[in-house]
Amino acid sequence: MQSKKQQKLVGQLLVNGILLLICIAWTVPTLGLLVSSIRDREDIQSSGWWTIIPHRGWVQVSELPIPENASVDSEITIEGVTATYDEFRAGVDTGDGRQFVWIGNLRNGHIQVKDRQWTAGSNFTLENYGQVLVGKEYTIRNADGSTSTVQGDDLSASFLNSLTVTVPATVIPILIAAFAAYGFAWMKFPGRRILFIIVVALLVVPLQIALIPILRDYVKLNLNGTFLAIWLAHTGFGLPLATYLLYNYISTIPRDILESAFIDGASHFTIFTRLILPLSVPALASFAIFQFLWVWNDYLVALIFLGVTSGNVQVLTQRIAGMVGSRGADWHLLTAAAFISMVVPLVVFFSLQRYFVRGLMAGSVKG
Amino acid sequence: MSSKKRVVVFALLAALVLVMVACAPKATPTPEPVAEPEAEFMCPSDWEMLTPELEAACMGEYDGMVVTMTGPFTDEDEVKFNESVAEFEEWTGIDIQYTGTKEFETIITAAVQGGDAPDIADFPQPGLLLNFVKSGDVVDLTDVMNQDWLKKNYKQAWLDMAQMEGIQAGVWARYNGKSQVWYPQPAFDDAGYEVPETWDEMLALSDQIVADGDTPWCIGIESGAATGWPATDWMEEIMLRTTSLENYDNWSFPADPADRLPFTSPEVKNAAQVMSDLWLHEGYVYGGTAAIADTFFGDAPLPMFDDPPKCWLHKQGNFITSFFPEGTVAGEDYDFFYLPPIDEEYGKPYLIAGDIYAMFDDRPEVRAVMDFFSRGESLRTWLGSGGALSPHNDAELSWYGDDIERGIAGLVNDADSVRFDGSDLMPGAVGSGSFWKGMTDYFSGTVDLDTALSEIDAAWPSD
Repeated sequence: MQSKKQQKLVGQLLVNGILLLICIAWTVPTLGLLVSSIRDREDIQSSGWWTIIPHRGWVQVSELPIPENASVDSEITIEGVTATYDEFRAGVDTGDGRQFVWIGNLRNGHIQVKDRQWTAGSNFTLENYGQVLVGKEYTIRNADGSTSTVQGDDLSASFLNSLTVTVPATVIPILIAAFAAYGFAWMKFPGRRILFIIVVALLVVPLQIALIPILRDYVKLNLNGTFLAIWLAHTGFGLPLATYLLYNYISTIPRDILESAFIDGASHFTIFTRLILPLSVPALASFAIFQFLWVWNDYLVALIFLGVTSGNVQVLTQRIAGMVGSRGADWHLLTAAAFISMVVPLVVFFSLQRYFVRGLMAGSVKG
Repeated sequence: MSSKKRVVVFALLAALVLVMVACAPKATPTPEPVAEPEAEFMCPSDWEMLTPELEAACMGEYDGMVVTMTGPFTDEDEVKFNESVAEFEEWTGIDIQYTGTKEFETIITAAVQGGDAPDIADFPQPGLLLNFVKSGDVVDLTDVMNQDWLKKNYKQAWLDMAQMEGIQAGVWARYNGKSQVWYPQPAFDDAGYEVPETWDEMLALSDQIVADGDTPWCIGIESGAATGWPATDWMEEIMLRTTSLENYDNWSFPADPADRLPFTSPEVKNAAQVMSDLWLHEGYVYGGTAAIADTFFGDAPLPMFDDPPKCWLHKQGNFITSFFPEGTVAGEDYDFFYLPPIDEEYGKPYLIAGDIYAMFDDRPEVRAVMDFFSRGESLRTWLGSGGALSPHNDAELSWYGDDIERGIAGLVNDADSVRFDGSDLMPGAVGSGSFWKGMTDYFSGTVDLDTALSEIDAAWPSD
């Protein structure tokens, strides 16, 4: 009895331990990103984000002049410590807890004397967030020689654009897919299976191959660069998965519930709105999260259908990608921008999360 | 009572309408006389040889029209571009809508194939533009632009480089100089080093720095999907310095496929050898040769700004200054010297790269904008703000905002020869493909030189 209990406890500990490890492994990169987003550009380039954690490190305590007549090839003695030049450059332990490091070369160098001490990087700044949110400032010299400061674009316009793209691009496919899923699950009509198989088959079609043909059609319809275009595109690309997912859920609703409704004289539409929709909230919500995250983070589709010739409809991902500058000089801003763009998906996820956990089971019971 | 009230209200309303109707015709004619004096020439009066379209634009005839543009410059460069055309937009009322994208190469292909090309596109690589010239999507500028004006405002070499497949494919808008070696001036002077005038002096300086216990060169070629391009720049520099211009042209952009100088030829191999003698020289490169392929090209010069510097010399185009640490000042914290010649016979060549604007839709207002871009005025504020050099003859050296760029522009003007970045001219499969990869493979030690060169050459399209 006792050993059985113990076994159970060990098993639990093991499972929880593994889960904890996985959680940490998944979270660490995000943590690093967060830390980097509040560090200076030069700090990011010169040391890792983990140096902000207190650790034992070598700290310079004093400085010595370099010995005269030293050469690269022969041994050098500094305060009783003898080593080659290259060893001194790499750092030589003196044996009494100190370290000598040769900084610079034979002409302009000096010796750093270092002690092992507790250190932690503590140089934090909100500058990155400021530049991302408010826009960078540039100094422009006008033709008449005067200089003026120009404020670069901030995120607000593209943030609104992203919302404008994402919300309808999430709602429209869910609506259509819910109707379709109901039809496939509960309405009898010829060709139902074939149609359903076609929808499922569309799951494996990569959206990339459809980009140019759709772009051509859009150009002919004069739709390109409009929000309607990208809503339709995301709806189309999202529909197969949505239909499939919702079908699996809706078809598991017990037949009895629907049959009693039929007997009471309810039409398909009434059943759909009164019964099916309320019952499938978990599935709808979990698909909404999928679709929302996908559209919010989408870069490719927006780039093709929105981005080429009209700057005022740029979405967040495009704006952030452009933020690094023509030659990638400002990549340190990406960390801050990433966190800002993360806010909305986090809000959506946490507000729909309780459905999400339930909804993950959607379709897992019956295929 | 209430019916009386209604009558009163109705009467008031009727009166109001009458007044409005009476006023309306008076209101309309007033703006007309104002419109008349607007039709005067708004652009700078010293502009000459304008195309009829630019003339009309300056008279305000295209007021309110939109010209779309796409290009690879984003963020800071985008702001500078918008500022540089702001005055023109004021003069003409034309709205130049520029959209920058980091994925320009991909996007422009998709847009053109999808029939959604912008009116004007900015190509940093003529090799890419050539694709669209071949597919017939680019408007031939021969009859669009005033050729006499172009001849007057550009050096012939620029015009020659704009000729592709028998059409004039675009106008050159900006360039940057590549043949500069940057160094940390204060420390450099303190250490008593001197700027080398010849290649041998430069090698002697490198040896001197090594003897002083330091590493002379900062080199890094990592650049994401484009890793290796800084190495191709070095190859081109050395090609220009070790062989004839004819050979360089036949190597990078052969007019006749039969004349092509392959990568496996002795000339190219010699250049690669000179380069690897420097790059792979023991102790020459900061971090060792193994670090070359792993170091981001923008981070490569940073150790130069440590105190004291960890490396001393860095060859790169003038745009690299935007990667230098914040607060460093040109002429105080750093300076540059011209990458010295190797063989006197080939003089002092200058390697450049630049942006060419191509036109995809032939409308009068687009023509006017293209003519504007062929004038130095279109770059004036950009030159003042830094980050661009002007290929136009009517751009004055005094317009440049700092001495470094003015210095480079002066050197390019005085150079014995000027050649365009070869890898940008080569077909995409080589210039932005096997050439990058081959150089990376060789300097990271994966393959030997002969293999690398023959692999690069194998990617050259056979047609």
